[in-house]
Amino acid sequence: MVSSFYRDTTKAFLVISLIFISSSLFSKVEKYGEVSFENRTFSEKGLFGQDKDHFSFTLSPEFYFESEDQKTSFTFKPKIRRDSLDDERNLFDIQDLSLIKVKNSYEIRIGIRRDFWGVTETVHRVDIINQTDQVESFDGEDKLGQPMINLSLERDWGVLDIYALLGFRERTFAGEKGRLRAPFLIDTNSAMYESSAENLRTDFAFRWSQSYRDLELALSHFSGTSREPEFINKSISLKIPYYGVIEQTGLEALYIVGGLALKLEAISRSGQGDRFSAATAGFEYTQVGILSSRLDLGWIMEFNYDDRYQESPLALGTRLTFNDMYDSQILSGVMRNEETGETNVFVEASRRVRNCCRLSFESIYFNGGNNSNSIQKMFEYLKQDDFVRFEFIYYLGN
Amino acid sequence: MKNLNKIFFSALFFFFLNFIHSEEINRGLEIALKADDSFSGYGDSKTNLKMMLKDRKGLVTERVMEMKLLEVPEDGDKSLIVFDSPRDVRGVAVLSHAHKVGSDEQWLYLPALKRVKRVASKNRTGPFLGSEFSLEDLSFQEVEKYSYEYLRDENIDGKESHVIKRIPLDPYSGYTKQIVWISKSNSLIHQIHHFDRKSFHVKTQTFSGYKKYLNKFWRPGEIHMINHQTNKTTTLFFQDMAFNTGLSDKDFTQNSLKRSK
Repeated sequence: MVSSFYRDTTKAFLVISLIFISSSLFSKVEKYGEVSFENRTFSEKGLFGQDKDHFSFTLSPEFYFESEDQKTSFTFKPKIRRDSLDDERNLFDIQDLSLIKVKNSYEIRIGIRRDFWGVTETVHRVDIINQTDQVESFDGEDKLGQPMINLSLERDWGVLDIYALLGFRERTFAGEKGRLRAPFLIDTNSAMYESSAENLRTDFAFRWSQSYRDLELALSHFSGTSREPEFINKSISLKIPYYGVIEQTGLEALYIVGGLALKLEAISRSGQGDRFSAATAGFEYTQVGILSSRLDLGWIMEFNYDDRYQESPLALGTRLTFNDMYDSQILSGVMRNEETGETNVFVEASRRVRNCCRLSFESIYFNGGNNSNSIQKMFEYLKQDDFVRFEFIYYLGN
Repeated sequence: MKNLNKIFFSALFFFFLNFIHSEEINRGLEIALKADDSFSGYGDSKTNLKMMLKDRKGLVTERVMEMKLLEVPEDGDKSLIVFDSPRDVRGVAVLSHAHKVGSDEQWLYLPALKRVKRVASKNRTGPFLGSEFSLEDLSFQEVEKYSYEYLRDENIDGKESHVIKRIPLDPYSGYTKQIVWISKSNSLIHQIHHFDRKSFHVKTQTFSGYKKYLNKFWRPGEIHMINHQTNKTTTLFFQDMAFNTGLSDKDFTQNSLKRSK
């Protein structure tokens, strides 16, 4: 029922869009996108006996049409993913299927889109427009397309984006055979909602943002179904995602002092139990040309705060950019929670191959720490999930 | 008395020295202002850029991008660069608002995440897309951003030239000084020696294929940069240069950055 609504809307929009396109409104047509192959090898079998190895294949072509005056554009980008191990990691998503019209005093964007809010690097607290495609990657930066109508006003006093978010996308979770999964099974087919409209509720959001020379500021509010579910026990080992209706106000600030960028993201949310606040603050600094070389070394440090927990993790990251012909870089980071004693370490290296492709290698290590207190650990069930990941991306187009 | 004389003469000497010096500064500035003539009143422009990177072994790779420029009277100019190739950076874009006084503002658009990221403009001194150019080399060089000194006249490559020294006022510049050769006949820059933070002559930039647009604005067809430390070179080709394309402030905002393809 849920997905059929989504499918029908998509179909209807596709038909309308095709009429648009065929009316030769668009003078510029571009086709690109990517095909990727990924392999993950874990150090051990999973806690529930899941396999050590799996691979996946992703295809996401992108079609872009633009009118002569560049005031009207249309984008279509589906994404198809097939996984060798976990059915829940198979995906067909429309990332973008949208029409943008630029007028003199406003811009309107209609259709399925993705939009990012925020300034920090390790945790994205304010970002809420799109649902997270959690099984895609461990960093949670991959999103699902969201049907919306977005009006954007750009004036002297800043940019005001007003969104009507039509319908809801469920979060993806690793299945029974999948790796990096929770200790219980999640029945995504019987998700429950606080709203009687279930996943057809129209949510609203706005964001005001402004640049003042060295300061970037944004304020936002979201009123609707939470992207982050709670879980209801169906049985001991089976849970159902429950999506409550929330009100979330967000603040983003970024201040530039010389080569240093100071960042803050804070939210206050009500609707899921008591109202709570959470924040991520930190900095990013890049040393250009370290040791008289071409190499740049970027430093990221971010502190977390969350009302709901005694202690939140601290993240430290570095980005080594080689500035060579192949755009080689190595990202590495540590996340540490003092309270639980847990540490999570990752390294990701990537480089371009010829003009068409990119190769990347990632490794993640979880350490459960020695603290034997009874608090819930972040990675309690991931301690057998250390892995190395290899990915080869071929970029389509000319 | 003898002492007094000494003081008087040395004061006169220093005054004179200072006078010569300020004369050189004024002359340097004058030459720079004249060279800048081609860059004031142009309104807006669009151009495609092709970069050819050549390493020590002669291996060549290419970068393609589009650059839009908007002149902002009384302040620094605005620019938007959108990458087209290599394919993995297609759609990545850089928006800059230069300022005559103070640091420039700069935003990066990452299409994969649909994210606009404000970046510290200090990070403009490193190699741009692996080339021998930095973003600083590519950005608009406002006269106000340097102090000048006239050095000498010289004939190089058959061109009678003024040679001036300019020192970037931006503390985050990648250079301590630049020696600039400006042709006497048409006031066009044809060579720059870049000196890095250790005052080492690190790069030489040469301009060629100048063409006049709208009967007034001279633009180079090619800019060549050689890095003397690595012997790597990058040549920048300007293609389909167009002026008066109807760009306005609205085309250099964060919303337009998000739309840039």
